[in-house]
Amino acid sequence: MPSIELVNVTKTFNEGKVLAVDNISIEIEDGEYVFLLGPTGCGKTTTLRMIAGLEKPTKGKVLIDGKDVEEIPPEDRDMGFIFQHFEIFEHLTVWENVTFGLEMRGLDDEFIIQEAEKALKIVKLLKYADEYPSVFGNPGLQKLAIARAIATGAKILMMDEPLGSLDPKVSKEFRHELRNLIKDLGLTAIHVTHNQEEAMAIADKIIIMRVGKIVQMGTPYDLYEDPNSIFVANFLGETNFLQGFVLSLLENEEMKIWIRLGGPKIICNNLRSYYNLDDNIIISFRFEDVYLFPMDYQFEKSPYDWSKVQIFEAFLESSRFVGATKRFYLTLDNGDKFISVKPRTFEESFISGEKLTIGIHQDDIHVFKAPRDLFYELSLS
Amino acid sequence: MKRTSEEQEVENKLTLSLKIDRFFSKPVYRKTLDAVSISFFVLVIIGPIINIFSTIFLNLPSIYRDVFADELIGNLQWLNILNSLGVSFSVATVAVIFDIIIAFPVSIILTRYDFRGKKILDALVDLPMAVPTSALGFSILLFWGTFGINPGMVLIILGHIVFTFPYIVRNMKIVLEKADTLYEDAARTLGASGITVFRTITLPMMKEGVIAGSILAFTRSLGETGATIIMSGLVETAPIMIVGFRRQLELPSASLLAGILIAISILLLFSIKFFSRRGSLPIKGVIPEFERFLSHRYFRYIRDAITSFILGLIILIPSFFIVTQLTEGDLIGELFLSQDYKWAYLYSSLISSIQVGALAVLINLIFGIPFAFIITKRKWGKVITILDTILDIPIAIPSAALGFAIFLFWGPAGIGLFQPGFFMILFVHVTFSFPYMVRPIIGVLETSDEGVEEAARTLGASNLTVFRKITLPNIKQGIIAGCIMVFTRSMGETGATIVVMGSIRTIPVLIVDWVEANVYASAIFASTIVIIFSALLIFALRAVTKKGGN
Repeated sequence: MPSIELVNVTKTFNEGKVLAVDNISIEIEDGEYVFLLGPTGCGKTTTLRMIAGLEKPTKGKVLIDGKDVEEIPPEDRDMGFIFQHFEIFEHLTVWENVTFGLEMRGLDDEFIIQEAEKALKIVKLLKYADEYPSVFGNPGLQKLAIARAIATGAKILMMDEPLGSLDPKVSKEFRHELRNLIKDLGLTAIHVTHNQEEAMAIADKIIIMRVGKIVQMGTPYDLYEDPNSIFVANFLGETNFLQGFVLSLLENEEMKIWIRLGGPKIICNNLRSYYNLDDNIIISFRFEDVYLFPMDYQFEKSPYDWSKVQIFEAFLESSRFVGATKRFYLTLDNGDKFISVKPRTFEESFISGEKLTIGIHQDDIHVFKAPRDLFYELSLS
Repeated sequence: MKRTSEEQEVENKLTLSLKIDRFFSKPVYRKTLDAVSISFFVLVIIGPIINIFSTIFLNLPSIYRDVFADELIGNLQWLNILNSLGVSFSVATVAVIFDIIIAFPVSIILTRYDFRGKKILDALVDLPMAVPTSALGFSILLFWGTFGINPGMVLIILGHIVFTFPYIVRNMKIVLEKADTLYEDAARTLGASGITVFRTITLPMMKEGVIAGSILAFTRSLGETGATIIMSGLVETAPIMIVGFRRQLELPSASLLAGILIAISILLLFSIKFFSRRGSLPIKGVIPEFERFLSHRYFRYIRDAITSFILGLIILIPSFFIVTQLTEGDLIGELFLSQDYKWAYLYSSLISSIQVGALAVLINLIFGIPFAFIITKRKWGKVITILDTILDIPIAIPSAALGFAIFLFWGPAGIGLFQPGFFMILFVHVTFSFPYMVRPIIGVLETSDEGVEEAARTLGASNLTVFRKITLPNIKQGIIAGCIMVFTRSMGETGATIVVMGSIRTIPVLIVDWVEANVYASAIFASTIVIIFSALLIFALRAVTKKGGN
């Protein structure tokens, strides 16, 4: 059964001057739908192309089903590949595009017809079989590219930004169809994208890359709940960052921090527990994890357990209604800003300039060592 | 990697052509093809050119005796050589400068304006490039003859303007078509007038086109023989002097002059390639008020009127004037009823021309396609840069000099494989037309999408199958364009042919012969035939390249 493994793979271009992929190791199991996610130029496409055999690793091994495939050219690797710009053969008809791979495998005519019809039916293009691809816009080309790649019966499907050329709305609808298709066919799939929302929505596993290295990998849920770096916290979802430093180390893997001088003092989990007193730190918390209360809210009277919720005060600068959600722009006494997102149905109506009570659950706050260059860590490249 | 029985089974089921593709897709065959193609290039294209320098070096004593210290005439030969070089360079310089001035408005009119008959005008401007220069030269001689301008310096310049003009317009047009008019629009919204926009935005974008066109035009003018023989009278340009030396079998003098011409042309080619990257155009110093005044539409009308007048009078009408002369003179009596069977000569030289052209196309096709692939696809760093630069040498050097170099290399004085005659003509034509085949193919390969080829490979196609089924259909237009270019250049070549032809005649040479022998009616008839033939070819070429554009 198809499994893919990369062992210490490095790829350089221009005689070693450009380091595209830097010593990465990946394991992908049979039937897994894996995303390679990262900003432009992070090496994700190069990684994909090395697995497909379109690039040779400078160092390291690519194993498919446990076999080293270094000497196997792309045409003998038996993988489907969907290219970012589809790369449909424009001088061939839709039918000829889909049967191309089948014919290369020397299959019987009957079988070719049967499989090509099946693939075209899946993407609903059978009635266009005799047309040339120039009749299609991007969505049509996209479907044809999928049909062409799956028609050969290859059990591994590689996709390089397959939804990137589609209109955002079409792309959102189509990604679930794509996942269902891959799962129905039982394919092992690798999907390269820079679109974090797309990855979060349909991946089994996400591998986040940056400047040629793997930053973190795991299920969408794990990555979202427990990002291991400022970059990942920022890249996935909408996140607030505030600067501060360690005020005192508590027992039970907790510590007290001070959000910059003049800001509130709060308690965070010290899970990675490598912080010392007075260390500069960055805390992050998601927009949706910031709870808002009026100043006179009586926590003692509510039925919930508030013991682990950090409570402090902030000014409401302004609020915006954004379709499904409301956004609240908040400021601390020292001028640091952060945002809270609430559903459209959030009932409290606050006035701009009003002072509010803010609540954030201790487990929703992540602590990171302050980087040398916060701006770089927060940039998405 | 050991083949499993399963893979073997798949292999057995493949169709024969796919099996052959798979077999020959092995790297060893690709390397063999690369080696063959590069050997061909080095031996056939570059070999003769290097050889001429070693020949000069080895024969220095006899060259010195003939050229610098002849018993009777002393160094007169050398003075003649210098004089002819001077003539050639002045003609080329004047012609190119005139061309550039008139080509600016013409190329802008042909790209930025839309009017009825634009396509026809466009084709007419291109046509002199395809017509054999001897026919063109004869037509120009007849046209200006009616105004009393006789063969000599003025007529040579007028002629050279005509056949070099298309090279410059074509290159300018290519750049203008590629350049985004949005930049010009942006400049206009910022308040720049028409001429200011042209000077500060359009002109810098056209730089490359102007330089590329000028190199081609200059070298074409420097090396032209066929038309010049007809138009020159007593004036001798360098290529004509080579033809003269060769006819009188003054081989040492011929090899010296050919060597000098080749060396100058190569230096010119390299220096222009080098400087074109650094040179800048006078775009600084904003003088908007004056330019706003000049941008007034009346000046534009005046410019268009002058341009049309010059284009018509100097370039288009003289080129095709010959067709109106068909009815002059006793054509039937001279061509068909005369005792010396002129029509038979016409027929046989037409056949020779077509045979040489077709075989040159075939040979260049076989070696040119792999060579274009080497230049675009192999990652050999500096080697590719060098190959890419010396590829243009056969275009840059005067064809008569090239012909003489090949005569020395393959002929009795060198390897001794061929005597002057059909095969040597073929060799010369293969050599000078090789870049015309390779360049268009490189052009389409560079713009063609490699992703499609990769897609085919991930679907299981071997290298050669990818080439056959995906690459070839995509670069077809470039290949056809290359074939037509080679064929027209071969059909039109005079200088190189004269030097190596022996007793065989091609049609441009026959026209020269007939004009020199004053059998005008037959020469007019032959010229008309080749002009019509070339017109058909150029229309075919345009149809092909247009399809490629879509």
